[in-house]
Amino acid sequence: MSAFLRAVAQVISGVVAELSDQNAYQRHLAAHGTVHSPQEWRRFQDEHAAASSRRPKCC
Amino acid sequence: MAMGKILGRILWAAIALAAAFSMGAVAQSRGEPVNSTWLVIASVCTYLVGYRFYARFVAARVMALDDKRATPAERLRDGHDFEPTNKWIVFGHHFAAIAGPGPLVGPTLAAQFGYLPGFLWIVIGATLGGAVQDFVILFGSIRRDGKSLGQIAREEVGKVGGFTALVTVLLIMIILLAVIGLVVVNALKGSPWGTFTIVATMPIAVFMGLYLRYWRPGKVVETSIIGFALVMASVFGGQAVAQSASLAPWFTYSGVALASGLIVYGFFSSALPVWLLLAPRGYLSTFVKLGVVVLLAVGILFLRPELKLPAFTRFVDGTGPIFAGKIFPFCFITIACGAVSGFHSLISSGTTPKLLARERHAVAVGYGSMLLESFVAVMALIAAASLQPGVFFAVNSPAGIVGTTPAAAVATISNWGFPVTAAEMQTMAQDAGEQSLFYRTGGAPSLALGMAQIFVSSGGGRALLAFWYHFAIMFEALFILTTLDSGTRVGRFMLQDMLGQVWPKWGRTNWKPGMLITSGVIVAAWGYFLYQGVIDPLGGINTLWPLFGIANQLLAAVALCVGTTILVKMHGARYMWVTCVPLIWLVVVCFVAGWQKIFSPLPALGFLAQADQLAAGPQTSTTATLVFNARVDAAVTGIFLILVATILIDSIRVWIGILGGTRKAKTTETPFVPTRLAEEL
Repeated sequence: MSAFLRAVAQVISGVVAELSDQNAYQRHLAAHGTVHSPQEWRRFQDEHAAASSRRPKCC
Repeated sequence: MAMGKILGRILWAAIALAAAFSMGAVAQSRGEPVNSTWLVIASVCTYLVGYRFYARFVAARVMALDDKRATPAERLRDGHDFEPTNKWIVFGHHFAAIAGPGPLVGPTLAAQFGYLPGFLWIVIGATLGGAVQDFVILFGSIRRDGKSLGQIAREEVGKVGGFTALVTVLLIMIILLAVIGLVVVNALKGSPWGTFTIVATMPIAVFMGLYLRYWRPGKVVETSIIGFALVMASVFGGQAVAQSASLAPWFTYSGVALASGLIVYGFFSSALPVWLLLAPRGYLSTFVKLGVVVLLAVGILFLRPELKLPAFTRFVDGTGPIFAGKIFPFCFITIACGAVSGFHSLISSGTTPKLLARERHAVAVGYGSMLLESFVAVMALIAAASLQPGVFFAVNSPAGIVGTTPAAAVATISNWGFPVTAAEMQTMAQDAGEQSLFYRTGGAPSLALGMAQIFVSSGGGRALLAFWYHFAIMFEALFILTTLDSGTRVGRFMLQDMLGQVWPKWGRTNWKPGMLITSGVIVAAWGYFLYQGVIDPLGGINTLWPLFGIANQLLAAVALCVGTTILVKMHGARYMWVTCVPLIWLVVVCFVAGWQKIFSPLPALGFLAQADQLAAGPQTSTTATLVFNARVDAAVTGIFLILVATILIDSIRVWIGILGGTRKAKTTETPFVPTRLAEEL
């Protein structure tokens, strides 16, 4: 039971990380071979925004 | 046979029997309130059977999904768009993108026919149509490097099909933005509490944007929690504003004023940097949306409210006050999202195929998440149908139909067989913290009332009804506005892409004049339809929601044409019924609905008849505008039908060519590459 609850909690935190772009940011850092900094976050926001704002949200 | 296998068969037989028995109980019940538990059991068991048997059949036999085959996420991995991701995380991402206001508002409006027609369409339509469409397009995109619906249409069907898909998407976007804008306007009209709360979300979003950019870079969850706390404070603050004689007038607006504000907001949200407004609002609305959906599910499962609306109402004959038209085809047009939504094909061929680590994950993500959205629609239907029918119709009927005074409205509605009194409505309005709940067309207020009643029943008493009502209004308006501002921006990019084909400079999204002009064009386009909805004497929803439903279902027809073409190229005629059956249904429904909306001699239904009646009637300052608007609506409906007929004919030409052997089944599917991913994803 506790293993099941742990798995559910992992999925929920994973979904939150994906929806909050934390995973995307980690991928960005890895792809650029860099670490977190305010400037890097802003660079990520600008690059990511260009792509994400082109995606439609459904009705 | 192993014991496990036997037990499994017994279990699935029990689930299938439970689905059939509950569906029978829901369908046979007449004359007394039905408990919502039956709807929950019937829908969930049907989804389970559909997922276990039909989706697996389609995955194994029709698509031949192969986990040994590398997906685009693996082959084209770039750390940005393409990234193999855990199945359930992709599921959450995909569900958050497909679930918008549609599955909440559509079933609420369609409840005018009673709860049964909408319920059956939501469950059966999603299992055999909507989920299949989402799944097939997701599959098609995975096998084509994550390409978009438009690109797949162009490559698999032809240039005509590709261009038609692009134009259809742009048009549907414009109608969608107008109709959801109207839902917000009607919910906030004359409501200082609601208006204050929603206006407050704009500076809150800007604050969140600045906080995230400069003060706490990267702390999205922390920023969203702060934003949520501020939004909740604004819900409480709205009550103080509404009760203040000096502040309330500052937040009490007419429909036209609210529509104008929304149009200005739409323009700025399209032109401002994404990080400042759109992104923080997007994070906030996604979390609030998922949280409220879970809250509503828990409320319904634990409280099991009774449905007070009958299974069928007298309005199956087409004389409904919320929108005109008979149960066929209009029930199937009104509920698009929640049953079949063409818009989902854009998501299924957008981000999602670029994240799937394994082909078989598409079953849960493509088919399964549509079933979950369908369940959200069932919950919205339960929330709306748990209201007293008289209250439901008093909230949702326009003054132009039930009468312009509360006394006239309750008399008309009571005469329909749904007793309600003006005093009852006044008490309800006071409990909800509103001055009046009459003529609140659009579905959002009645859904908010239904949700508030469910939440109130779980504790706190009626004293909390006002809070929960405005919380629900905030929730609906928040993510409708998110769809509105992101949709405006997406529409702008699509227009720039199209113009860029002719004059490359227009295709540059950072070219300021192009950005401002195309933003203005898109906002003007949906703003025009929003304005015509606001000034419509029948409340606007009667006109715009069917137009949106037709457009959305026609886009589903476009997606199913593309899906059928893929299946015909894979297997010939053998499995084309999988997509052809829902396609034929949607084409019949949309064309009958479209034809009736244009040519019906009834002014409440047919746009041209409505224009003729207005032109022949007493002339007021708005008559000429209303006549023009009705003719524009007729023309837009006609354009939709022509566009879809074009891609349908083009697709049939391709199918006949392939099946008759006169055309080579040339597919753009990428060749097999074995996966190297570890098992855990």
